[in-house]
Amino acid sequence: MIDLDNTSFDRCIKCTVCTAYCPVARVTPLYPGPKYSGPDAERMRIKTPFLADSSLAYCNNCKRCETVCPSGVRITDFISLARSTRLKKHHRIRNFLLSHTDLAGFFTTRLAWPANFLLGLGPVKTVMGLFLNISAKIRFPAYASGRFSGELKAQTRIQKAFGEQVLYFYGCYVNYNFHDLGRDVVAVLNAMNIGVIAPAQKCCGVPLIAAGNLARARKNANANIQNLAAAVKETDQKIVFSSSSCILTVQQDYPELLDMDTSAIDGHIEFITRFLYKKFKAGNLPALKPLNLTAAYHSPCHLERTGGVMYTIEVLRRIPGLQLTLLHSECCGLAGTYGFKKEFDTIAEDIGQPLFRQIRATAPDVVITDCEACKWQIEAHTGLQVLHPISVLAMALAKS
Amino acid sequence: MRMNLNNSTDYDCLIIGGGLSGLACGITCLSEGLSCAILSSGMSALHFSSGSVDLLGYFPEATVVADPFDALPRFIDMHSEHPYARCGINTIKEALSFFRQEMAKADLPLHENHSRNHFHVTALGTLKPTFFSQQSVFNQEIRSVIDRTPAITIMNIQGFRDFHPGLAAANLKRHKLFSACDIQCAEMHLPEKEKNPSPVHAMRSIDIARLFDTMDPDEIARHITAACPDGDIVGLPAVLGIEHHNAVLDRLREKTGKIIYEVPTLPPSIPGMRLDNALKSRFAAMGGVFIQRETVEKGTIADGRVTSIRTKNQNDTLTAGFYVLSTGSFFSGGLVSRFDHIEEPVFNLSLARSPEARCLGSENFFARQGHAFLSAGVITDEAFHPKTPAGETVENLFCTGAVLSGYNPVNQGCGGGVAVATGYVTGRRIVRDFYAITNQRQGYPDLP
Repeated sequence: MIDLDNTSFDRCIKCTVCTAYCPVARVTPLYPGPKYSGPDAERMRIKTPFLADSSLAYCNNCKRCETVCPSGVRITDFISLARSTRLKKHHRIRNFLLSHTDLAGFFTTRLAWPANFLLGLGPVKTVMGLFLNISAKIRFPAYASGRFSGELKAQTRIQKAFGEQVLYFYGCYVNYNFHDLGRDVVAVLNAMNIGVIAPAQKCCGVPLIAAGNLARARKNANANIQNLAAAVKETDQKIVFSSSSCILTVQQDYPELLDMDTSAIDGHIEFITRFLYKKFKAGNLPALKPLNLTAAYHSPCHLERTGGVMYTIEVLRRIPGLQLTLLHSECCGLAGTYGFKKEFDTIAEDIGQPLFRQIRATAPDVVITDCEACKWQIEAHTGLQVLHPISVLAMALAKS
Repeated sequence: MRMNLNNSTDYDCLIIGGGLSGLACGITCLSEGLSCAILSSGMSALHFSSGSVDLLGYFPEATVVADPFDALPRFIDMHSEHPYARCGINTIKEALSFFRQEMAKADLPLHENHSRNHFHVTALGTLKPTFFSQQSVFNQEIRSVIDRTPAITIMNIQGFRDFHPGLAAANLKRHKLFSACDIQCAEMHLPEKEKNPSPVHAMRSIDIARLFDTMDPDEIARHITAACPDGDIVGLPAVLGIEHHNAVLDRLREKTGKIIYEVPTLPPSIPGMRLDNALKSRFAAMGGVFIQRETVEKGTIADGRVTSIRTKNQNDTLTAGFYVLSTGSFFSGGLVSRFDHIEEPVFNLSLARSPEARCLGSENFFARQGHAFLSAGVITDEAFHPKTPAGETVENLFCTGAVLSGYNPVNQGCGGGVAVATGYVTGRRIVRDFYAITNQRQGYPDLP
């Protein structure tokens, strides 16, 4: 029986606009582009599964094809599904390590110093490159000591004392690597008399989807939906996200790609800048001091896909003294775990070049972006400091 | 750049649709200091266009117009429902010159034939009258050379499947302008292209354009000369790069000593993408917010005013002082054809053709009178305000571009001009109304 669950390929008019804007197809002829890999080949794959070819692996899951498609075809979903169900799995150990962020975080945050030391060591990188096919070019984001979840839990009483509360999905990066962003989120919201509560949560699953492990991604999705739904039921508050990829996964991939029932949390999920924008508009704007700063804003692919860029720009515009340049929207290339994979590391670098050139030409004090992976990639290739919009807002908070 | 004055709305002006007309309107609003966002549902029809902007190509019926400003008064007299009649000739002139200036600022200088039409050559070898063209395509300057040096070579790039020089040459020869010309076909060999080891990767215009963007132009010049040692004029498919095609073209012309021009080919159209890039970069540089992936599902109208619009992707309600509907025609989804009626899906506005009209096409594809669906669209008052089905005019909503009724972009050759002119005139009206309401800048110059 042919599964005709997603027949949105029938809406494809073969205009090739997706391939024209695909960052991977731009730099390598080994990837035939989203039109071929998605709607074109899907028609044949549903009847003749062995037609799935290894070029599918080149997709970096940036979803630019879906962002630009004039006909609303869910192109990346075809590619992700075909990759997970029809391709032979390679690099299993590597993909396991890269995609099980909760497991890695569990150990490394207990042994942060030795873990960071080892991951930065030349010979270790060589060994990882040789045996695990992990790029030796890339620098792993440093792990933090302890977890953000614990830090926030310890403040529960203080956070509950605020006039209202919001639920925070901090994601793996804040939890295991970069507590400062989580602290900035808390500082900004607290300055607006909003307390921050963290419901129980797992990795959203985006690295698992990228590794083709949809079964495991569904497990995480299921746990997250249950935990978030319980928290929503109890508090009836919004759940805010500070990572643009986490929210894309929960909001769009859970129901569309993973076939999960998200009705219990629909309407409660908001990206942090949208949440703040609405609060600002309603008059709850924290006291801000002028920042004397020039900044270039890079919009992450996944925020483009969800149409959420507007809110970030408008929040940034409310910071006095921030000279903002909007960069032309381009993929940075890293695409989460894509650039960590040895076979794709050169492609990831090549993809980012137009963006890096733009940033160098703008020569800002700092770069602002909503995505952690974009941050690593831009910092590595431009040497500039890259900040989350919320961190910039936190910098501008007038100390009370 | 500044935030909207009225903090109770999200923007001074929200534009639904990010094509030629929406962007022209947005740039006009921004140039007068309004805050403005455009919501676009994917890439626009510019990606399927020639990249030239028509003003008035055929009038009366299938007769080529040489001087559109000479023909416009009579044209407007005969077509009182045409959007041009509602813009006025002076405003159309102003709109075009504003558009050309803005494109020049975005590094896309446009060729204009002393306010007359010129021909550009299509991939099929036909000639189309148009008003603005990119400097790289066939234009009046090249046309004036033909009489002196009548040897033209139409050249493809080896392996490029979306362009057929033989077809183009055969059709061109049938045209009286080219009847005295010696038209040859040739194929240029691009070794860089053969580095592509993958059999599945079909080389499209965009891939070759990127080669032109990155390769040494001197090397390309050598390949052109090798493929065509003698000819004076060379027509290439429109693939001469996206980022700096004018510099590449100048270098190629200088190195080969030939006149080289581009022929727009199948989508995605490279000249169309250049226009799209230039418009968006102007819009962003002036402080506009362009949302690439957002579909507006519904707009709410109460007491003759739009109160808010509902977005699909973000599932949010947005508000503005003024709204512009630039969603295009059937192809772009601005009009939808159902089994037994047609409709405008966002606001359910009144349409010019009775919605029950079943027969929107002619049996003959190339019928003289064209196809009825091309003139279908929203009916508006003189200021492009549409009406609800109940007949109520919507004061803070304007319609621009292909969603409008009353014109046939194909038969009249006026699609681009209507998009730019209605976008511009609407932008100006919004600016005027905005400052009238906020009581700022009294005495803002009225429309001509």
